[in-house]
Amino acid sequence: MSSTDERAPSGDHPRRDELLCMAYVDDELAADARVELERRMAGEPALTAQVSAYRKLEVLARQVAPDEPADHEWKRLEREGTQRAGLGVGWALFVGGALFFYGWLGLELATDDELDLVPKLAIAALVGGFTLLLGMTLRARLRNLPHDPYTEVKR
Amino acid sequence: MIIATTEELPGKRIQESFGLVRGNAVRARHLGKDIGAAIKGIVGGEITEYTKLMGEVREQALDRMCKEARARGANAVVALRFANTEIAAGAAEILAYGTAVRVEEE
Repeated sequence: MSSTDERAPSGDHPRRDELLCMAYVDDELAADARVELERRMAGEPALTAQVSAYRKLEVLARQVAPDEPADHEWKRLEREGTQRAGLGVGWALFVGGALFFYGWLGLELATDDELDLVPKLAIAALVGGFTLLLGMTLRARLRNLPHDPYTEVKR
Repeated sequence: MIIATTEELPGKRIQESFGLVRGNAVRARHLGKDIGAAIKGIVGGEITEYTKLMGEVREQALDRMCKEARARGANAVVALRFANTEIAAGAAEILAYGTAVRVEEE
C-alpha cells in the first residue's frame, strides 16, 4: 500500500488521489499542487486514467444538465406589461376583498342584535388582539429588514 | 474559512480538531409570497419564492456554523453535512454541521 493510500479515508469516501484528480479537473488546485500532480501523472498511468475518466464525467454532466435561463431573462418576463398588470390587478382584488371582508365582519358584529354582548366582545378581542400582534410583528420585521443580509440571497 | 464535505483537504494537513460545530436557521417568506407559491403549485414549475427561502436559510445556517468554528480557532470545516426538517408549513429549517479543524499547507 502506498503512502497516499494509508491516509485515505475508509468506506465509500473518495481516496485522497481521487479528490486530487477531481480538484485538478475542476481547476481548483493551487499552482504547485497542479504541477506536482502533473509530474506524478507522467509516471503513474492509473492517475492519468483517473483524470481522464473525471474529464469524461464532467463533459457528460454538462451535457445532461439542462440550460437554465439567465437571470435577466427571468427579469424580462417579470417586467412584461401583461404579466405585471395581471398580477397587480389580482393582488389589488385580493387585498380589497380581504379588507372589505374585515370591515363587513366588524359591521356585522356591531349591528347584529341576535348575538349577546359577551360573545361580541370576545370576538372583537380575538380579532383586535390578532391584528395588534400582527401589526407589532410586522413593525419589528420592517425595522429589522435593513439589517438582514440574507434577503439578498437569490437561490 | 475553507468548507468541505470531504474529511480531508487535498494539499492540506489537519493540525488540530475542535470537534462538532453547527448552525441552524428557520425562516419563512411573508404571506404574499406564500400565496404566490401556492398558486404556482397549481400550475407547476419552479417555485422561486421557496428557492429563495431555501437559499436564505442555507446561507444563514452556514454563516452560524462558520462563526462557531472561527470562535474555536478553526480555519476550516470538514465533513460538512446539511439536515432539514419541516417545522411549520411555509417555513424551512436547515441545520449545517461539520468538524472544525485547523489546517496548514502540506
